[in-house]
Amino acid sequence: MLNIWNDFQSALFLFFKYVTRGNKVTLVLTVLMATLAFIQINLVHGILSGAVNLIYSQTKNNYVGNIVIQPGKDRWGNNEEYIKQVELLKRKINAIPGIIGCSARYSLGAIIEYDPDKTGKDIRSISWPVKSVNPDDEMRTSELHNYMLAGEYLDESDRDQIVMGREVSGGYGASLEVQSLKGVDIGDEVTVFYHNGVVRKYTVKGIYATVFPLADMTVFVTQKEMESVLGIHDRASEIIIRTDEAYPEAYYIQELRRAGVELQDIRPWQDFIGLVLGIAQSFDIIKRIILLIGLIVAGVTIFIVIFIATISRRKQIGIMKAIGMKESIIVTSYILLALFYATIGISLGMAIIEFILKPYFIAHPLVFPMGRVSLLIVRSEFLTSIASMLAVSILAGFIPSWQVSRENIIKAIWG
Amino acid sequence: MIKVKDLKKTYAGKVPVHALKGVSFDIPSGQFVALMGPSGSGKSTLLHQLALLDTPTSGGILLDGVDILSLSQHAATAFRLRHLGYVFQEYALIPELNAIENAFLPLMLLGMHRKEYMRIAGDLMDKVGLSDRLHHLISELSGGEQQRVAIARALVNKSKILFADEPCANLDTENKGIVLRLLRKLCNELGQTILMVTHEPEQREFADRVLWLRDGRLEKEEYISKDTQEEALHNGYRTDISSDPDYLKDD
Repeated sequence: MLNIWNDFQSALFLFFKYVTRGNKVTLVLTVLMATLAFIQINLVHGILSGAVNLIYSQTKNNYVGNIVIQPGKDRWGNNEEYIKQVELLKRKINAIPGIIGCSARYSLGAIIEYDPDKTGKDIRSISWPVKSVNPDDEMRTSELHNYMLAGEYLDESDRDQIVMGREVSGGYGASLEVQSLKGVDIGDEVTVFYHNGVVRKYTVKGIYATVFPLADMTVFVTQKEMESVLGIHDRASEIIIRTDEAYPEAYYIQELRRAGVELQDIRPWQDFIGLVLGIAQSFDIIKRIILLIGLIVAGVTIFIVIFIATISRRKQIGIMKAIGMKESIIVTSYILLALFYATIGISLGMAIIEFILKPYFIAHPLVFPMGRVSLLIVRSEFLTSIASMLAVSILAGFIPSWQVSRENIIKAIWG
Repeated sequence: MIKVKDLKKTYAGKVPVHALKGVSFDIPSGQFVALMGPSGSGKSTLLHQLALLDTPTSGGILLDGVDILSLSQHAATAFRLRHLGYVFQEYALIPELNAIENAFLPLMLLGMHRKEYMRIAGDLMDKVGLSDRLHHLISELSGGEQQRVAIARALVNKSKILFADEPCANLDTENKGIVLRLLRKLCNELGQTILMVTHEPEQREFADRVLWLRDGRLEKEEYISKDTQEEALHNGYRTDISSDPDYLKDD
C-alpha cells in the first residue's frame, strides 16, 4: 500500500513538472480542444433537450394535461360516447394527493363558417371539433388563458362567445393559414354547424397563441353552452388532469384506479403526441451521436498530444526506466496529464456554458415551430458527458504511454 | 564485485549479429575499470547486459553475489533502482526537471522523505561542484554540468556499482577532465566499483585496469600503475585548473 502511494506521488511529481515546465502552447491548445468538445456536446444536448422539454411542457400545459380520462366501454363492450357522473368523478380525482386540478371537456365535430362582409360571397369555413370548458376548472389544468393574443378568455356565464387558437382564426402569425378562417378577429361573428344538427352563432371573444400548433388548433365554448347544444348534463368527452409531477404519470393513474375511476380509459399525455414523440426520440439519437463525436474529438486530441509527448520523450522514458522507474509510474503520470487536460477543459466548458451560453440563450432563445427554445442542461446528461470525457481522457493517456513505456530500454534510448 | 561468465549476446535478424561471443572476467569491489576496444567490439553491449538494460543470450552475471539474470522484470527494475548507477553517453536527463530534481529522482522513487532526499542530493551536487546550479533547468547547464548531474543521479542511491557508457564522449577537454577526475575520486573515496566504456586511450589512465574487447571477445587486459593514475589525475585533460569544482582541487 505504501509502495502504491509512493508510486502515485512520484507520478504526481512528474505530471506536475510536465504541466509547469512543459510546452505552454500545447497545454493551451489541448485544453481549448477539450473545452470546445465539451461545449459542443452540451450545447447541442442543451438545445435538443430544450426543444424536447418545450414540446413536453407545451403538451402538458396547453394541450392534454398530464393525464386524460376518456370514456370506457359499456357492459356489452361497446365504446361509450361520454364519461358519466362527471361531477362525482371530479370530486374523487381532486381528492387524490398530488392532483392539482381536473377539467371536464366536451368535444363535438362542427363546421365553422365566417362571412367577413356578410354578403355570402366570401364565406370561409373549416371543419373542426369544438371543445367546451369550465373556465374555472380549466385555469387550474391549462395555461391557455395566459396566452391571449387578443380579447379575453371565457367566463363561466358566457353563452354566445367563442375562443379560438390562432391556427383556427388565421392571422396573428399563424403558420397554417390555408386551413384557417383566414383572418377572424375578436368581435367577429362566426356560425357553428354542430354535427348533431344544432346551429349557433358566436362572437369571437378571444384569440390565443401558445405557438404550439396542436394547442393552437382548438376552439372553445363554455361547458354550459355545449350542454345546451348537446342537451345533456354531467357528462364529458374527456377529463384533463394536472399533477404536481412529484411522481410519474403511471403512479397517478394507479391512484385514480384505486380512487374508483375504474370504467374509464386513462392515458398519460405521451399517448397524445405520437408524432412529436417520434421527433423527441430522433433528438435523443442525435444527442447520442453528438456525444460520441464529441468524445472522439476530445479523445483523439488528447491521444495525439500524449502520443506526441511520449514519442518525443521516448529517450527520457527509456532513461527513467533505466534508473529504475516502474512503467506504472510513467503511465500514471501521463494519465494524470490527460486527466488534467480534460478536467481543465471541462471546467472551462462548464464556466462558458453557465456564465455565457445560458444567459445568452435566455436573452436570445431559438425560435422553433413549437415555441422559443433556450438551453436546458439535463443534470444526468451533463454528468454523463463529464464522466465520459474523463473516461476517454484516461484511455487517451493510457494507450500511448503504455505503448512507449513497454518498449525495450535500449531501443527507447538509442532508437 | 562483478563476475561475468561466458557471456554471449546475439542480435537476431536475417543475418544474426554475435555482439558478445563468450566474455568472462571478474571485477573486485572498489576497482575502476575501463572497457576499451574499437567500434563494434561489443563494449556498450556488454555494459547494457551488466546494467540490466538488456538480456544476454547466454552466460552468467553476478553483481555483488546476485544472479541478475534470474530476476523478473519487476525485480530487475527494483535492482537497478537500489543497487546500480548508470551514466549515459549523452546527457540523459529529464528536461522538465531542474538539476537537483534530476539528482534526487531515484531517492524519491525509493520512497524517501523529501527533506532527506533533498539533503543527500544537495550534498552530492555539492561534491560534483554544482551547489550553485541546483535549481537551474537542464537547458541552462553546459554539457559538462549536465554530465555531472547525471553522475550525481547515478550515485544518489549509494550504489556500489557505477556503469558509465562513454561519459565524456560529447564533452570538451576541460569537462572531460572534470568528469574523469570525479569518477576517479569516487572510486578512491567511496569505494565505488566503476566500469567505464571509452574509446579514448588517454581516459584509461584514470582507471585501475583496462579490459580490451575485440569482435565480442575479451582480447587482453592491462593494469594502470598508481603513478600513471596520479599523473592523469593532476594533469590529464587539464586546461584551466581554476574552473574545476572545489572538491577536485583538495589534493
